[in-house]
Formats: sequence, structure tokens, C-alpha cells
Amino acid sequence: MRLRIRFSKMGKVRFVGHRDVARIVERALRRCGVPITYSEGFSPRARMSFGLALPTCYESEAEYLDVPLDPDSIIDGQIACTGWGQGKLHNPQQMQAALSEALPTGFDVVALTVEPKGGRSLQETVVSCGWKFDILGAVTQEVEEAIERALASSEIETERKKKNELVRENIRYGVHDLRMDGESERGPIVVAELSAKPRVIRPSELVDVLAPGAEMGIARRTHQWIENDGQRQEPLMLSKSLQLKEYS
Amino acid sequence: MTSLWTRLEPLLPRVEKPARYIGCEDGAGTDIYKPDATSWLLTYPDTYEIGLPNQGLQILYELLNERQDAFAERSYAPWTDMEAQMRSNDLPLFSVDTHRPAAEFDILAFNLSAELVYTNVLNCIDLAGLAVRASERHDSDPLIGAGGHCAYNPEPLADFIDFFVMGDGEEVIAEITTTVGEWRKSGKRSGSRKNVLRALTQIVGVYVPSMYEATYDGANLTGVEPKHPDVPTSIQKRTVADLADWPYPRNQLVPLTEVVHDRLNVEIFRGCTRGCRFCQAGMITRPVRERPASQVREMISKGLERTGYDEVSLTSLSTADFSNIEEVVTNTIEEPGTCGRVSVALPSLRVDAFTVGVAAQVSRARRTGLTFAPEAGSWRMRQIINKLITEEDLYEAVRSAYSQGWHRMKLYFLTGLPSEMDEDTLAIADLAENCVAIGQQYTKKASVTVSLGGFVPKPHTPFQWFGQNEPAELRRKVELLRERLRRNKRVHLKWHSPEASTAEGITSRGDRRIGPVIEHVWRQGGTFQEWSEHFDLRLWEEAMSASGLDIEWYVDRHRDENEVLPWDHIHAGLHKDFLWQDWQDALAGFGLEDCRWTPCYDCGACTEYGIEHVVASPVPPNGGSQGTGQDLTTGHVVPVDLRPRAAARGT
Repeated sequence: MRLRIRFSKMGKVRFVGHRDVARIVERALRRCGVPITYSEGFSPRARMSFGLALPTCYESEAEYLDVPLDPDSIIDGQIACTGWGQGKLHNPQQMQAALSEALPTGFDVVALTVEPKGGRSLQETVVSCGWKFDILGAVTQEVEEAIERALASSEIETERKKKNELVRENIRYGVHDLRMDGESERGPIVVAELSAKPRVIRPSELVDVLAPGAEMGIARRTHQWIENDGQRQEPLMLSKSLQLKEYS
Repeated sequence: MTSLWTRLEPLLPRVEKPARYIGCEDGAGTDIYKPDATSWLLTYPDTYEIGLPNQGLQILYELLNERQDAFAERSYAPWTDMEAQMRSNDLPLFSVDTHRPAAEFDILAFNLSAELVYTNVLNCIDLAGLAVRASERHDSDPLIGAGGHCAYNPEPLADFIDFFVMGDGEEVIAEITTTVGEWRKSGKRSGSRKNVLRALTQIVGVYVPSMYEATYDGANLTGVEPKHPDVPTSIQKRTVADLADWPYPRNQLVPLTEVVHDRLNVEIFRGCTRGCRFCQAGMITRPVRERPASQVREMISKGLERTGYDEVSLTSLSTADFSNIEEVVTNTIEEPGTCGRVSVALPSLRVDAFTVGVAAQVSRARRTGLTFAPEAGSWRMRQIINKLITEEDLYEAVRSAYSQGWHRMKLYFLTGLPSEMDEDTLAIADLAENCVAIGQQYTKKASVTVSLGGFVPKPHTPFQWFGQNEPAELRRKVELLRERLRRNKRVHLKWHSPEASTAEGITSRGDRRIGPVIEHVWRQGGTFQEWSEHFDLRLWEEAMSASGLDIEWYVDRHRDENEVLPWDHIHAGLHKDFLWQDWQDALAGFGLEDCRWTPCYDCGACTEYGIEHVVASPVPPNGGSQGTGQDLTTGHVVPVDLRPRAAARGT
């Protein structure tokens, strides 16, 4: 069995890098006494597998993590804690609350299930991501027109650095959704769904197309989408009643 | 209270490792502001990664925030990319806790762990928007304080720092808070700065350099004397008598980004009386004060549960000397909450106290890196530095480690020690090769890393009179060893830059005339001098010649008994004649026992302050005295002549 965890990363902690997040999560799992398993070898590490890495400086409502559990620790769908949680028996809701509490401010576990192991990894199955970002000081009208032009065209040409070399690429194939969503105090807000296959397209690549020369404000991943029997869905849905916590 | 966060936030995507600047650590206060309290900004003048784990800073942070009349935030030196962003956007130095501007605090307190950070201290003061020279600061500007080991020679920074603190900070911060609090309440009016500084001189352990005058006779210093009759002529260090009263930090900060020593750190004792003559820490932190084993256990268990760390470091100047260390390690590993997966790091190990028992315990979980510090290659050299461990002691420790599954270890050595000959330097290679040979009996992968540092004589040690080897000589010794070890693939040699040792020498034993040198180097952009990619000896050479000062005179020159040393007015308890006698004994090859297990020889550290050792076990670990491993009680001959007791201090 494994825990599948969906967590958010908001506010100041958006500046924490992906590898550091793994360290933070590992400490939280230990504090809660989650019956994690360890790799073999000279220097055993806790087994965990993350979904697609989130670029540093981005917020997220949809980070995913699979944690393989010691199979003997699941009793009637409840998790028997070990270590510092020895003696506690948590159902998934309780485990969700305990992990949120153990994580630093800015990180919250927003959904959690106990499920059988197996299947393809999160990294392999995610096909696209939903994003929301604002563009510093851009003119809303101009961004709106740029979006219209981009969507009408068969080419969205972007430039990015790859091994110190500028690579030009048409990413029109990977732009599934692109629209305005109001304005923040920093500038116009854009919502996009961008492909994660064959590579993850980042919102920052679009900024130069939508407002040449402008800088991206705050970007947030809102969804990671997988395909199941041709159906697009999220690995874990948020409960309708859940209010995401915002941090500044 | 002003937060600079909204101005800082847009800059963060432009810099490396932005998590350095956000705070948010577990254990950090989020609601620490107290409107009517004295505010401290505790600043570590190096990067966040180096500074965050600093135990001294974390202890003071917690103690101050527990008080009603004070609160503390933290700051670290911004890396060069961030500094450029801050300067071009007019953003001053800020606290990482609530991102307040540094200049809004009452006190900016620097931790001085190494001399090469001095230019960063100036840079931080400047980034705070304050004049770097104390005499040019305004009445209402924050007071700039400094403490830590390097404060024991405060003179090179005398132009820039308003007050220094000598010794343990736990108690003295209360008195400083009160005095500064009165100044704050009075409105920091025009002319009041002189008064608060004068008042600070009345606190034992506090040194206010502007209240003293340095006098010279030509190139020679003749004294550092108080300017006013009520200002003390000598400054005595502060020492907490019993560590049991100070179980701090209770809530060690857990950073969100990886730092050095990223683990639970529990200080198990303070002070060391092994008496290694090169070691400033061992001289100025006497006596030995062990934390009770039960408190150690509680701090470990609570700390691991609170933080979720799976590694704990038992910190001290010589961890294996702790009474019953094996039991402490065993208890930690058997702590049920860790599921047997905690690793124990023993950062400072004497080889004579590292037994197969300790090795076996430590290796039960994930094996941590092992570092032994023989310090010198030959027995003759180790007698001179009073690091009285025999080759057999080292080989036994190394055998213990390899037999318990370690494949490699690090051996730390100094070169450029008093009276060192090439045969002493080359003996380092012999030791390392013999260690590898022992390892090969247990594993094919056996290897040893030799880390070689150039010796820089430090104030308040018996070697304070010794002339440092010049860079060319240190370089020659490094080359000697490199050549000797060139064909050995199992001994890896690493060495510290001899040029950096020269700059360290200038600042270690400098007087007030070195102040303009530090300022010159800083003004030429010489920050982060601890970092090899930023260190530049030419800046220091230029600065010395611009000030008309001679590097040879400050660094390479032997001092004689009667010379007035720049730190003679600063006291760590040690009698100057004790240090001189120990220096003479060193040259004569006489050893000195460890006084925690043998009678007092009156160095002054206890007798001057009416305190004594707090040590649970009356006998040294592993049965030996000073690492000879021999049973002194049954008449074995110690392989070193110990100085006759009657000769101590010539009485």
C-alpha cells in the first residue's frame, strides 16, 4: 500500500527548491510516525516519489507525492503509526491533518488517500499542467490581443536556454488552454493549460509571447492532469468543501 | 514596524538559492515583535547556509525572545548576487524573520567565528545604511556589538564595533538589554550615545574600544589604556558555571533549505583542557563543563521528535571525552522514536578516546563521516603541540573504525608548527599510509583523506609569540607532501590556501592599525574572503602597504616575552606567565596533563573566576592520561616528560 498525497505550496515557501521540499516532507513524515519504507544499501533513504518537479519561485495547489508504506501497518484502512507516532491509529483524514500540522507554514496537505501500490509513476502519467500567473506591469488589453493572435495561429515561437544555447521552438502543440482571468495588483492574470509531454512547458516561456520584454509575477500550478481510459482527471481531486489556505 | 518583504519578493527570482532570504524556519518566531522592548538583530557575517546552524546565535536568539524586555531577529550576509540586487534597488540589510530593516533595531550583534569574515562585517554595517566607522555613526543609530571566539582580539575591529562581549553570552545579554533599554527609553537623544557606551563598560565581559586609547613607541604598541577612571583597565570574560542551567536551544531552528550541519545539534559540554597549544578554543573556553547525561538524553529525544531529523550531532571541542560517551550514543540509537534509524555524528574526536565500543554503537545506524585530528605527523611534533596521542592510539582508533565497516576517514593535520622540520611534515604521509594499510585488512576500498591546514598562531594561546610560516614556506611543505603522496591513490591530500593563512595571520594578531587595512580590502570589493573564489591576497598586500604596514612584522615575526600584545587588556582567565611557561615547555618538549582528571596547575581559568570543572567521571576515557593509553596508576612510563608540578607558574 501507499499514501498518495496532494499538497499546496503557497506564499514565501514558493522560493524553496524541489530537493529541499523532499527533505522537508521526509522530516514531516518522520515526525508523524508514518510507517515509511527505506531504500537498501550503505545509506538508506526514505522511499518517496514526487510528481513533476515544480520550478523554484512557483506556487502550487497541486503537488503530488507517493509514499510506499510498510504493508503490515495498514489495519482496516487505518494507518498504524510507528516511531514518534507509536500507538496512534490514523484514518486518512487524521493523517492529512497531522501531516499538514507537521509541515512548515505555507505547505498544506489538501488531499490524501491510502491506495494499493502499482501502476505507472506520477512522473510518467502526468500529461499536462494547469497554471495561473500574472505579468508584471503588462497592459491587459495588449495581453488579451496577444492571446487571441497566439490561439489563432499555428505557431507560438518561444526561445529558451538549453545548455547555454538558445533554442527556438514552436510550442503551439502544447498550449491547450490560454485565457485572461482578471487582474492582480501586479498586472493581468493569465490561466493556461500546458503540455507536460514530451517536456514540461513552463508559463515563463509564454510571457515573452504575451508581453514582450515583461517579467512574470507570481505563477501558480493549479492542476496536474493525468489520462485514465481517455478521461482527463486529477490524481487526487480536492473535496468541494475544502478552502485552500493562502499565505503571503 | 516596517517590512521590506514586498520590495524584496520581486528580487528573489533573480538570485541563486532564494530560500536563504525568506526565513520561515521551524522554531523561528513569527510573532516576536514587542513594541517596548530592546531589539537585537543577531547577524552572522557569512552566508545563510554557514550561519544558520551556529549554536551560539541560536541560543541567544531563543533566550532574548523568552524575555519580556527584549526580542531578537536574525540576519546573514547576502551573497554577492543578492547584494548587487539590494544595492541597485536601495534595499537595506534586513532580518529574515520579519524582513525589518537592520537600522530599525537597537543592537546589531555580530558573531565572529573566523577572522576572514571581518570584511563582511563592514559590508553588513554598510548595507544596513550605517557608517562603518563607529565614530561617524549618529546618536540614534543602532549599537554595533560583536562576540564569539575572534572577539578575544578585538583590536583589528576596534574602529568599527561599538562594543565587544568576551565569553559565554547567556547571562551578559540580560545586562546589556537593561543598559541599552534605558538608552532606548530616554529617546536616544543627541549626545546620549557616549553615555550608553560608557555605561556598557561597567558590565563585566563588555569591552567598548572607543573608551580606550592605544599608545605606540614607533612600531611597537605600548599599551591600550582606558580614557576615563571608571572604565576598567582589564576586561574579564564571562563564563556560565553550569551548562545544566542552560538547556538551549530548546527549539533548534529547522531550515527550509539545506545548510551545513543540517541535523540536530546538541552541545554536550563546553570547554576543553586537553591543552593543545595551538588551539585557541581550548584555551579561552575553560573550564570543562559537561551537561548532565540525563539532560543530554532529553534534549536529543525531544529535539529529534520535534524536528524530524534522523541525525544528531553531539557537539563539543572533543566529543569522545564526555564521561560515558558510549552510553550516550547507545541511548540515542536505542531511542524508540527513531526506529533504529538515527545516525550519530561525533564531530570532534580524539583518537585515544574513540574505542571500538563507540565505533560499534555509532555504526549501528547510517554511518556518518569520521574525522580524526592527529594534527601533527611525528611524535616529537605532537609533544611540542601537547597533542599527546601516540601512533598506536591513532592506529587503534582507525582499526576500530575500519573493523566496524567504515571505508574511509579524514585525518586533519596542521603544518607550519613551531620547530617543524621536513621529516615532521613527511611523517604525515607515513601515518596516512599506515592507516590505509590497516584499513586494507578489512576492506579493499580503504582510503584516507588528509586535510592540511597552515598553522596561524592565535591570541591567548602558548603559541601567540610564534612567528607564522610565510606562504612560500607553507606552499613548499604542501608540495613536499604532494610529491611524497603523488603515487598513492588511496591517500587524498587536500590543503588550505597558504595565502589565506597570511590574511588570517594579519587579522588574528593585529592591533588597531589593522582597522584601515580591513576597510581598504572591503572598499576594494573584498568580501567573502573565507571563500576561495573570492579570496585575493593582493588586496591585503595592497591594503597593508597603503597603510605603511609590514606583513612580515605582523605575521611572520616571533614575539618576545616582554612585548605588549594587542590583547593584553583582554582576559580569558589565563595568566600570561602560565602561557609563556607553556610556550617554553613546548620548545623543550615537555607535556602537560589534562587538569580535569589530574590536579590543578593554576592556568587561571578557574582560580581567577572561582569556578571549576563540571565532569561526571573522575578518570579519563580509555584509561589513559593525555592519550598515552597507559595506566598511570600502575607505574607504566608515560612516553613524554610531564613538567614537574612544582615548576608550574614558577612558584
